[in-house]
Amino acid sequence: MTGLLEQRYRTVLRLLPASYRAEWEDELVATYLHDADESELDLARPELGEVASIAALAVRVRLAGPGGPPRFAALGSAVRTFAVLSLLLHAAGALTERALTVAWFGGAEQPQRALFLGAFTGQGLPRGAAEAVLWLLPLAWVGAYAALLRDRRRTAAVLAGLAALSAPAQLLTGPPFPYAAVDTCFALLTVAAVCCGHHAEAPAARLPFLPPGAALLGACVLMGGATVAWPRAADAVWGAGCAVLAAAAVWCAARFAAARRGRSPEPPADSPGLPLGLAALAAAVLAQRTAALVQLTTALHGTSGKGAGVLRPLLVGSEVQLALLAAAVAVLGVLGVRALPAPPRVTAGAPPNAVRGG
Amino acid sequence: MASKGLTQAAFFVLTALIDEPRHGYGIAREVEELSEGAVVLRVGTLYGVLDRLTADGLVALDREEVQRGRLRRYFALTDAGAAALSAEADRMAAGARTATERMAAHRPGFAGGAA
Repeated sequence: MTGLLEQRYRTVLRLLPASYRAEWEDELVATYLHDADESELDLARPELGEVASIAALAVRVRLAGPGGPPRFAALGSAVRTFAVLSLLLHAAGALTERALTVAWFGGAEQPQRALFLGAFTGQGLPRGAAEAVLWLLPLAWVGAYAALLRDRRRTAAVLAGLAALSAPAQLLTGPPFPYAAVDTCFALLTVAAVCCGHHAEAPAARLPFLPPGAALLGACVLMGGATVAWPRAADAVWGAGCAVLAAAAVWCAARFAAARRGRSPEPPADSPGLPLGLAALAAAVLAQRTAALVQLTTALHGTSGKGAGVLRPLLVGSEVQLALLAAAVAVLGVLGVRALPAPPRVTAGAPPNAVRGG
Repeated sequence: MASKGLTQAAFFVLTALIDEPRHGYGIAREVEELSEGAVVLRVGTLYGVLDRLTADGLVALDREEVQRGRLRRYFALTDAGAAALSAEADRMAAGARTATERMAAHRPGFAGGAA
């Protein structure tokens, strides 16, 4: 009995890893087709709910917890690390930007204050209220970060989704700059990582090296400090880039120190999840930096005299940061991929759990 | 596992396996019957739950049979699974008892399901 329905269902099952399918595919098909009407085997299609349940299973298997096959557990750990570090970065960025704005506002001249407030008050009540909401919305990243580290996964996903709304709003309300598009992708990727990585069977989120509060405070100080120390190079990516580079340097130093002690580094320094998650974060910030640099270069071409003098330090800072981020992505990526365990063996018809050991 | 408690789906899957080993489809049907239609397990959800319960040692493979040209695996409740299910049932019963007692004390008209 091989009808179109079975073929369609097997196509859906291709969402699952080959090793899992080798073990379970026939069983899943038999269960699914058990009470299917034989006269409709060529007409029916798998229901949307059935497809969704297979997709959810595929995510849980591929991003497994510590009890899963080592490679899938490492990939799951990488996605969870990316999710928690990205939430930390977004939360610290949102807090720092608003704290610096409030500090600037306190010391600004009256015309500058009026200009800033004009964005909220000068365009009518609905638009002003929308601007105020968009200005405050990124603070939901802080709530998402706190919720995830308290193991409130659904709350974290909802708050991250809410915070991420501010990114596509840039695309709707402003000109279609490449930076806004990349920023939107980064925010949506973070939400996806929170939802997919921290599924029901995944372990509770945790941060390497530092407690959550200290990490957030440290990231804020680092991002704010980088902006204050070199304000002429500080654009929207500068603080995040410095924070990611600092995290990459700490990880590399920990790994180097462990290697010098002449023994295998202790987890988490040796876990492929941490370097891969950090590499993914650095790659996302690298994409932001590249997009911002493209915009800056375009602006510089149309500027001369004093304007070009102001933009040039920004360009130098951006280029240096871009080079360092690219190097960090390469080093972390290579070390992380090399530490990845081999894919599970594909053994058709193996009894349950045979794949786990692979 | 026990410290986190069982999900509703895992609870019903273990309950479905109390009397005899069952295959995937049999478990899904039994769960639907036991829950009076409240819990309908999609295939992806069912095998996700079975995978986790097997990994936790609460369920084990009992035997394999070939029917209509397809391999069918039967799953059985382990001693650890029976203990976890019993503990969860006790916890739920204790919670239900507490709710019933408080209802009787504060809202006697609703106690014991009376209208």
